[in-house]
Amino acid sequence: MGEVIVVTSGKGGVGKTTATANIGAGLALRGYKVALVDADIGLRNLDVVLGLENRIVYDLVDVAHGHCRLKQALIKDKRFEGLYLLPAAQTKDKTAVKPEQMREICLQLSEEFDYVIIDCPAGIEQGFRNAIAGAEKAIVITTPEVSAVRDADRVIGLLEAADLREPKLVINRLRPKMVRQGNMMNIEDIIDILAVDLLGVIPEDEKIIITTNRGDPVIQDERSPSGEAFRNITRRILGESVPLMDLERNGNLFSRLRRMVGLG
Amino acid sequence: MAMDSGHVMADPRAVSTGDNQTVLIQRTLRSGQSIFYPGNVVVLGDVNPGAQVTATGDVIVVGALRGTVHAGAGGNEAAVVIAFRLEPTQLRIANYVSRPPSGVIPAGQPEVARIRDGVITIEAFSAAGERQGSVTRVAPCNLEANSEVGCEK
Repeated sequence: MGEVIVVTSGKGGVGKTTATANIGAGLALRGYKVALVDADIGLRNLDVVLGLENRIVYDLVDVAHGHCRLKQALIKDKRFEGLYLLPAAQTKDKTAVKPEQMREICLQLSEEFDYVIIDCPAGIEQGFRNAIAGAEKAIVITTPEVSAVRDADRVIGLLEAADLREPKLVINRLRPKMVRQGNMMNIEDIIDILAVDLLGVIPEDEKIIITTNRGDPVIQDERSPSGEAFRNITRRILGESVPLMDLERNGNLFSRLRRMVGLG
Repeated sequence: MAMDSGHVMADPRAVSTGDNQTVLIQRTLRSGQSIFYPGNVVVLGDVNPGAQVTATGDVIVVGALRGTVHAGAGGNEAAVVIAFRLEPTQLRIANYVSRPPSGVIPAGQPEVARIRDGVITIEAFSAAGERQGSVTRVAPCNLEANSEVGCEK
């Protein structure tokens, strides 16, 4: 039986879909069989981020309503051995699927796959309830913004009420320079409020915008800091103990020198 | 007491200031969660921003109080709010409403909020001080006039 993990945040635009795609690709690169489920019915994105949009024939709603078999709807990602996508429907809305149907689909997938990762829609309404219905574990994504942290707190409360205890936190789009200048919440501030375990910190990185638009997970990029952060997150999900990466090391030579002499 | 997705709701008709009952909340209240209790409330955990605690009696938070708190709801002006870290979004006692002024550095020690001479005042909390009558950390400020908690001079 595989593990069913939901990636959620409450607030939109913090990086749920990007994180789902990269963590999924990362686990597949490690040799695991992974199914990604796009639960954002009506606003599907995960297929685009993975570059699989033009291969969709059947979707999650078709499976839920018995219009096709689960295997028919799963799209195999040819770049990553073992990575599959169950896409969302684009022409329906969140009410097209019930939590029981999601639970059943997750159960079926977990029999076949080592990891089932669900990309949750923004919000806390039916789409959220559908997405968490079949999950056993949760990853909460936030950015270092007060509004995103507030929504993450709300979502953690709802997850706990739904018996998804001890969710893991990913802080996305951190800008070390702004944190140093005191203009951005730091990791400690966020952990202080949310009081959950940290799974990883992803620095703000232009590379991730480029790769996401290209439909190519950044985790393959050996040189980008966000790719490294996602590789570390993948290893932590697999139970390895990996220290947080040095977020400062990617400055240019001049800024590093300035920091060394205490001017930064 | 009914529990519905993190919402603790006691009977709102039971509001009375003479109620000495106390409810113990053994978890952190997160954004969107709220407690109403006709009596005293003790929270063993934090009250995060966006969470709300309402009690007809005292409210004690063994942790950080960052959300909205209303002690003495129903009109008990003798009610107090005590927290290890008193940094509320908004603090109400009886019919007084106050919010912290911007830019105040957290005290880093337990504090108590109570009505003194018609204004909500914040003081350092010590058990001895409570019995003897008070160690004042901040000057009292007129609440209804400037609506502020802990206005330090």
